[in-house]
Amino acid sequence: MSEDTVMAEDSVGVDDTAAGAGSLGRNVRRKEDQRLITGHGRFVTDVELPRMRHVAFLRSPYGHARITGADTAAARDAGFRVFTGADFAHIELRAQSALPSYVETAQPVLAHQKVRFAGEAVAAVVAADRYRAEDGLELVEIDYEPLAPTVCAWEAPSEPVHVEAPDNVLLERTFDAGDVDDVLASAAVVVERELTTNRHAGNPMECRAGVAVWDAADGKLTFWNGTQVPHIARNMIAELMGLPEGRVRVIAPDVGGGFGVKSVLYPEDLALCLMAREMPGIPLKWVEDRAEHLLAATHARDHRYLMKAGFDAEGTLLAVDADVTCNVGAYSVYPWTAGIEPLMAGGLLSGPYKLENYRCTVRGVATNTAPSGPYRGVARPASVFAMETMFDAAAAQLGIDAIEIRRRNVITPADIPYKMPSRLVDDSGHYRECLDKALEALDYDGVRAEQRRRRESGESPIGIGVAIYNELTGLGRAASAGPRMPFRTGHDACTVRVNPDGRVTVLSGVTSQGQGLETTVAQIVADAVGVRYDDVDVRIGDTDESLWGFGAFSSRQAVIGGGAAHNTAVEVRKKIITLAAGLMEAAEADLRIEDGDVYVVGEPKPYITVAEVARVAYLESNRLPDGIDPGLDATTFYDPIRGAFAAGVQVAAVEIDRATGELRILSYVCVEDAGRAMHPQIVDGQIAGAIAQGLGGALYEHLVYDDAGNLSTGTLLDYLMPTSAEVPDMVIGHVSRPASNPLGVRGVGEGGTLGPNAVLAGALRDALGIDVDELPVSPDRVWKELQG
Amino acid sequence: MKCAPFDYVRASSVEETVKVLGEAAGEGKILAGGQSLVPVLALRMARPAVLVDVNRVPGLSTIRRLDDIVEVGATVRHSRLVEQPEHPLLAEAARWIGHTAIRSRGTTGGSIAHADPSAELPVVAVATGASVTVAGPHGSRDVDAEELFVSALMTSLDEDEMITAVRFARPARWGFAEFARRHGDFALVTAVVTEVRGRPRITFGGVASVPQRATTAEQALADGKPATEVARIAAEEIEPTADLHGSVEFRRGIAAEMTRRALVQFDSEQEHSR
Repeated sequence: MSEDTVMAEDSVGVDDTAAGAGSLGRNVRRKEDQRLITGHGRFVTDVELPRMRHVAFLRSPYGHARITGADTAAARDAGFRVFTGADFAHIELRAQSALPSYVETAQPVLAHQKVRFAGEAVAAVVAADRYRAEDGLELVEIDYEPLAPTVCAWEAPSEPVHVEAPDNVLLERTFDAGDVDDVLASAAVVVERELTTNRHAGNPMECRAGVAVWDAADGKLTFWNGTQVPHIARNMIAELMGLPEGRVRVIAPDVGGGFGVKSVLYPEDLALCLMAREMPGIPLKWVEDRAEHLLAATHARDHRYLMKAGFDAEGTLLAVDADVTCNVGAYSVYPWTAGIEPLMAGGLLSGPYKLENYRCTVRGVATNTAPSGPYRGVARPASVFAMETMFDAAAAQLGIDAIEIRRRNVITPADIPYKMPSRLVDDSGHYRECLDKALEALDYDGVRAEQRRRRESGESPIGIGVAIYNELTGLGRAASAGPRMPFRTGHDACTVRVNPDGRVTVLSGVTSQGQGLETTVAQIVADAVGVRYDDVDVRIGDTDESLWGFGAFSSRQAVIGGGAAHNTAVEVRKKIITLAAGLMEAAEADLRIEDGDVYVVGEPKPYITVAEVARVAYLESNRLPDGIDPGLDATTFYDPIRGAFAAGVQVAAVEIDRATGELRILSYVCVEDAGRAMHPQIVDGQIAGAIAQGLGGALYEHLVYDDAGNLSTGTLLDYLMPTSAEVPDMVIGHVSRPASNPLGVRGVGEGGTLGPNAVLAGALRDALGIDVDELPVSPDRVWKELQG
Repeated sequence: MKCAPFDYVRASSVEETVKVLGEAAGEGKILAGGQSLVPVLALRMARPAVLVDVNRVPGLSTIRRLDDIVEVGATVRHSRLVEQPEHPLLAEAARWIGHTAIRSRGTTGGSIAHADPSAELPVVAVATGASVTVAGPHGSRDVDAEELFVSALMTSLDEDEMITAVRFARPARWGFAEFARRHGDFALVTAVVTEVRGRPRITFGGVASVPQRATTAEQALADGKPATEVARIAAEEIEPTADLHGSVEFRRGIAAEMTRRALVQFDSEQEHSR
């Protein structure tokens, strides 16, 4: 995509003159770019330590089988250190939820007794390098007795995946509001569809990775881990290994993409730490390869929606009756549980639309496939597709324009706060504004005219698709993400330190997988303290440095981690002012700090610098005013209590090649309410990247299992991801309505993924009059429809 | 995804290569660009005992125009095929091979020897009636491309033989059309229409275990039947198989459309100036 089209109209290039006016809202040069762009990033794979050994995992070739024996003698005789399931049978991962219907199940560290999906780790070999470790794997013999696998979540189970759940249902919940049956009975139109979405995955550029080392003298574990959630990982590893939390250090260095895949604590992570404890002083490294990643990292979006929606004659949505089945795979992912996708689907299905009568039963069904976990947009790329399909179908049946029917039903600013039928509260409501702006950017009337012209001339047909969605971001304790797990993810901490030289070091609880959090946090702190952006260093990802942060998920960090950074920086600014006022014998209210200088109001020249104040705080206690302690720092937590909904609209004009079924995106527009954009270029990058991933899911990416439970798409030869050649130019626009949090921001990490399924399916219907009930939209499927 | 152990020999001549392959008794593999071989090694789907690196063998990386033939040395990279002016069809086909990095390393000899039925160069070899020069322990022999490809990833090469060059005839006219899921992917269907030695040829990639000619359609084309008719006959003539990316019917449909598109280009081509 070309740079000028991806940028919002009000965005500009990199702005290096971040002095004076503050840095927020400007495209300051990203702190990460020097190392990431010049090849000096520090990823887990770059960690090299003395005496380091490499680990390879042996993985099950069966989707479902009993393990009847493990023979490691040949590998041991050849000099390899080998671990099998029996070594760690006393530890298991049990994701917990307090939901009444939840069936708690266990995930082994290394499978013993039974394997539940093809690719599950059954043994690990330690060797001098990865090549030799894989040689060692070939010497390990595991005996299997195959069992009948279940691959599809909505077909009858063959043999239970877990004995605790004979029907394979790990969780079921019904959302119920209003009177669905009566209202549907009296509706002018009821549309009904069965929709299925394609299993796919986040597939970050860097696969999973870890280096674990056990220091026997200190009884301390250090774990470099490509994780989105270092503090949760520390908490969980300490608990599972029976270690004091203070003796577990998790370091997430540069991480090459996460997308939710790396918010899970995996058995391989734990295995690495447990093996390290068995091999004191020897760092163990495992860097996952792509084949392992496709097999055994979390998948997502393998759903079926049975949808029924009733409308009145004017197209007002009256009631929705839905049944959602999510294939959660072989295990309830730790710690998010099997509820992560079903509950999100049920909670957000009605999205930005006003609805009173709502019944939605969601269930998570275990199968012999890789576990499903959080993936950017969690469930909503599928649920938005399901909901938007209802509007497209109703519009066609009622003879109402597909845009108009949506306009009539969206939540408006006058409805705010709007309690959705799932009881979530929408605080945005700016959908019509986003829609208007998006249609204008698309040149809606022009595209319609071209559509008519082509219909008459017989040229390749074009269609317009639309999706409207609300992205639930920055969830505080009252709306916290996840299915009643034993922790609430509403808060983060931040420490801001002014060093004796007046420069600032921030120890933030946020993590970054490429989103530029070092930059954003530095901008926030620089502005709130009153120092230059270049004078702020941000340290993240190390649990021995920062106090607390839940990590990157649910589009939460700008709101929560950003809020914590802002509030903490404000505390520090107050301390500087208090100290400076004492030193200057001035009134605190008369002082302001700008670019590292402290001014007295009305004086053009600074009276003292932040550096001088800091020097006194640390080095010249003899000058400290009475009642002021040495030091210049603060640590605070922030919790927004509720969340911030981000409104979003995507529209596209699409051309279809009748001869091949190929779909070509002529123009793609996204308008979102990101609240206040702290770094417009990062915001647009987030949106563009999320749309690209959404397009991948809509058009290309499909993890396919055969009936025997083998993954048929085991390499990137068959699992197709979009490249830059497949991703079209985009126009990204903004409706900036500040949210009610300290910075006025709304999360933007995930929203982009929510639209493409619905947009492309809608565009196909608009162009050709065909229904898209199954994703992805591949040329063979479209071609088949075109043959009639 | 790390390869099993193997021995490595950097050959300095064709003779040495053939000798090492002979000594390996079927357990040897030639390493040229490595773009097909190395992934297969990494997945441990191939476990040769010895790899013979021919990248430094002199004399294998030239492109020569010989009258109506363009002779391409075995280690000529795809990127050079894209750039060369002597054989426009070859240049066009090479543009469709993978991505820049793959074209920078992948070789003509490697692609032909790998014999992937969805790859571009084997199709062009058959479409142009190419002759493949093969060196063995008893000297050199020429094999018709159509005789070389036995099945998917299988050739009639002996285990101690290597390809040294491929002689592609310059077609009087040609058309090339390819359908792939993404930019740079292996083709679902490639259709090449050529006029070689005064006769039209219609050759497909991706629809069978080897590059396949549609001879009935070729006759129809020679008889002056219209393009849509020729395309229909061609698509009926082939027996594609279904996979994750398309059904049999879809592949036939695409084969017809790619033939039609190649024929449009074929018909618009003027005879090349000699």
